[in-house]
Amino acid sequence: MPNTPLEGIRVLSFSQGAVIPDFGKILGEFGADVIKIESKEGMDFMRTIGADPNNIAGFNESNRSTRSFGVNLKKEEGREIVRKLIKMTDIIGENFRGDVMKSHDLDYENVCRIKPDIIYVSSQGFGRGGPYSDYQAYGPMLAAASGLLALWAHPTDPYPVGANVPLPDHMASKQAVVAALAALDYRRRTGKGQFIDMSQVEMAAGLIGEACLDYTINGRVQKPVGNRSPYAAPYGCYRCKGNDEWCAVSVFTSDEWEKFCKAIGNPPWTKDHKFADVVSRLRNVDELDKLIGEWTIQHGPREVMNVLQSAGVAAGVCQRPADILDDLQLKWLNAFVEVDHPVSGKRMYPAIPFRMSEVKLPPSRPAPLLGQHTAEICRELLKMSDGEIEQLKGQGALEIAAAKAK
Amino acid sequence: MAEQQEGALTGYRVLDLADKKGGYCTKLLADLGADVIKVESPEGDPGRRIPPFAGDVPHMEKSLHFLYRHANKRGITLNLEDPAGKTIFKKLVKKADVLVETYSPGYMASLGLDYEALKKINPGIIMASITEFGQTGPYKDWKGSAIVDYAMSNTMITSGFQDGAPINLPGLASYDAASLIAAIQVVLSLYLRGSKGHGQYIDVSVHECSRIGLYPWMLPMYSYNINPGSPPPPPEGRLGAAIYPVYPCKDGMIRIVALTPRQWDALVKVLDEPEVLKLPQWREFYYRIGNAADLYALMIEFTMKYTMLELFERGHNEGVPVVPIYDVGGFVNSPQTKARKFFVDMDHPVVGKFKYPAPPYKWTGTFCGMRRPAPCLGQHNEEIYCGELGFSKYDLVALRRAGVA
Repeated sequence: MPNTPLEGIRVLSFSQGAVIPDFGKILGEFGADVIKIESKEGMDFMRTIGADPNNIAGFNESNRSTRSFGVNLKKEEGREIVRKLIKMTDIIGENFRGDVMKSHDLDYENVCRIKPDIIYVSSQGFGRGGPYSDYQAYGPMLAAASGLLALWAHPTDPYPVGANVPLPDHMASKQAVVAALAALDYRRRTGKGQFIDMSQVEMAAGLIGEACLDYTINGRVQKPVGNRSPYAAPYGCYRCKGNDEWCAVSVFTSDEWEKFCKAIGNPPWTKDHKFADVVSRLRNVDELDKLIGEWTIQHGPREVMNVLQSAGVAAGVCQRPADILDDLQLKWLNAFVEVDHPVSGKRMYPAIPFRMSEVKLPPSRPAPLLGQHTAEICRELLKMSDGEIEQLKGQGALEIAAAKAK
Repeated sequence: MAEQQEGALTGYRVLDLADKKGGYCTKLLADLGADVIKVESPEGDPGRRIPPFAGDVPHMEKSLHFLYRHANKRGITLNLEDPAGKTIFKKLVKKADVLVETYSPGYMASLGLDYEALKKINPGIIMASITEFGQTGPYKDWKGSAIVDYAMSNTMITSGFQDGAPINLPGLASYDAASLIAAIQVVLSLYLRGSKGHGQYIDVSVHECSRIGLYPWMLPMYSYNINPGSPPPPPEGRLGAAIYPVYPCKDGMIRIVALTPRQWDALVKVLDEPEVLKLPQWREFYYRIGNAADLYALMIEFTMKYTMLELFERGHNEGVPVVPIYDVGGFVNSPQTKARKFFVDMDHPVVGKFKYPAPPYKWTGTFCGMRRPAPCLGQHNEEIYCGELGFSKYDLVALRRAGVA
């Protein structure tokens, strides 16, 4: 009986950026042997956005619990080694640009000849089979091309900018995991593998499915509403005491409105007929928001949150990472994990939020250094001798990380 | 619609007691072929009242939210608070593989329908509970909402312009993140049950999942930045406009993301090599972020010379990612969306025919797509009560009259 949920399952990850790295990380945290195929020339671009490719926060988060196999896919010797690995692989995840996998003869059709029951998940910006199928795009661009970004703005903004958040990347990665696991279960029952062709722009559009239907059914192109809700008030993000401090508040029902008024001390304006019911509040929402802002600005965001939540009203601080570390609920849930990385040292990462009664997850492992596990994988899985490994390294087919101290 | 085609999860039955927190979770399973039965109270799921509506008329069958998130499912009505209703629910659990519920912590236990009770009826049952904050902990009884969850996720603080109020995300992304993470665990549990036989209880906190679904890098970036000498940017600034700049062009707006020096060089080529953009310091990503306002002022002169599609194609040819900023209509009508047949025909008994956004992936070995529209209230009562549970049509009328079904 396996000790970890995916023990014995091997994943090859041809990945860059966020989507397939995060996909590999999740499977790795479940105990699969996830091998990231990379090389100095074909480096994950996330390794290139800082001075040291082994010391990038985003990379080291999204590639935790995986191994790095340094191999040059432009060399036939390199591709031959990868083909050998594929024979002992269950799942391939790839989000290389456009036709890169095909150029290495590692597309689904070719892989299928080596490993007929392979589960092959390909995640591209625009998906396959259309005029833009090989166009490169990062998450925030797919939010832009899907219609999501256009709705992510205050009505008064000159143009939409969204956030630092590369939506839909980390949602797409999870959707890809759902797919791979469903395909794995299907293979368990039938012996059959398959190819899954995912489009991240469609993933982004799926996050605003209601707005899509508003267009296809009602012919309406929705406009951004910022922090307002068309059917609840107060609903917004209010400035609090302090430097750039905010607290979000939402009130849907009459009962919640009464609790809200009581919690803020029942000031006389709350009795005004202008705010008596949701329709009146929505009609006078500018004035309502101003009055609420006059209350919130006198209190710190955590105080606003605690006062309102104690009264049964939904409210939440616009948290920063430092706030997150002090978040009592996340502390309770042990939602952080400290991982010691050979270059970056001990750093905090979000723990995998999987709470299953019958599953114990293995401890999280640090993201690999570039080529850190090449030799070990050659020896363990491919049964290669040190001489063979050295020879392939000399030919430039294999890349092996130099031992690196902290 | 392809009701009969086999999906990867065909053969599994899922009971759906999920509101907007979990609707996307069970939709994911339904899209893959699981037989998802939405179990609603006789008054109907609260999601049926969420605007906007088809034709802008409030109607139980016309909420776009409900139509979107409950497609591919069947639907029955059942009052879980009625003793007879509980008995019927237990019969359903006996034949089910998965139960997804989103009630407040303790509610299912108060009905005697918590995991401990249900696994006695069906040891293989996989039960996932999605709540705002989790089943235990100091915030377990706190309230959430789309904007509150997003605020607490530590990503909202990065939304919008630097000096403005942080901006809410459109849609229900925090709930969708929790739904995705719940679905991962449900499918993993089905896979494990195949070898081990037993079921599982899964506890999902929207609060915990939202930051991981939206942007798990916030905490590591902060943790790495604590040391002096780490590279900018500080993760909590509102830097969307600087990192992923948006520029006006002839017929709309585009977004350009040049991360590497090579991509920047390509961009300069796309814009016909203006001298002012050739200063070497512009090749540095962090310099561009630090001087985003200056760069914006320089860039618009050049981006305004082209249309969205010209820049999109020139960017592709030169090797720098550029995309048009579409509104929903632009996306629906884009040639890529059409070529992939992302929008598929749906025929709903009340709403009629319309185009529906399909799942974001195509599968070769099994069917993943739309099989049926969202159920009308109680649409499959007869199929389930009479076809499976052994009630007659007269029994069903009596159950309905008594407020059980």
